[in-house]
Amino acid sequence: MRADEDTAVDGGDADGATGGDTGLQPERTLLAWQRTLIGVVIVVLLYLREPFQDGGVGPGSGPDPLYRLLVVLVVAGAAGVLMVHLRRRWRVTDRGLHDDATQNPPAPLAAGWAVYLLSGSAAGFALLVAVSAVV
Amino acid sequence: MADVGRWRSPLIRRAERDEGEEPDYRFTLANERTFLAWIRTSLALVAGAVAVLHLVPLDWRPELKTVVGLALTGLAVVITVYAPLRWRRVQRSMRLGEPLPLSALPVVVTVGIAAVCAAVLVGHYWR
Repeated sequence: MRADEDTAVDGGDADGATGGDTGLQPERTLLAWQRTLIGVVIVVLLYLREPFQDGGVGPGSGPDPLYRLLVVLVVAGAAGVLMVHLRRRWRVTDRGLHDDATQNPPAPLAAGWAVYLLSGSAAGFALLVAVSAVV
Repeated sequence: MADVGRWRSPLIRRAERDEGEEPDYRFTLANERTFLAWIRTSLALVAGAVAVLHLVPLDWRPELKTVVGLALTGLAVVITVYAPLRWRRVQRSMRLGEPLPLSALPVVVTVGIAAVCAAVLVGHYWR
């Protein structure tokens, strides 16, 4: 697949790795990863927060604080692992300029397992929120 | 040309590395960013679910609160399961030079969110 007539891939020009946006695409991707991981941390912290109403036990009081803390630590830990992996990948690819194997900018930016770890963490967290609503 | 009709486990990466040819790196990165955008969408839905179920003191019927929360988390789970599979399929199509597969997910999410909005209105006016 070539990008000769491409003007729609985020504004890159048509020369691929020799074009003027070399390094900008990986940087945009790194920023997208960071935005997403920050979002993960913010949402789990929202879950950690005490409810605004005076809840006793039962519906409305939210799940047990210790259970919530455990969930938050696991999901935020996964986000931390991903952040470390991405920063490391960014460093070893010369700030997204070239992968040692291909000499092109690294694509994909993160390893395959990172995609599954992120989506698995998000899916697991969503399921836990659902479970704590009905149990 | 490889047999495109055959489904393989999305976890098998190495076997598909040799299929077709490496796409322009910008398309691969754009595919990765699209995956991340889907994940952020699901996170927003989970944030809404946490707010409805756990944070904001809503004066709704309890069963409606639960329905809205479960609908939001259900949509989020569907997105987070589908997003990596779609990322792989798109990557494979690009490697083989095929047209990108169409996805029903945007329609599903739109209809789901519209239904949740309707439920929120119901919760607000019929207490």
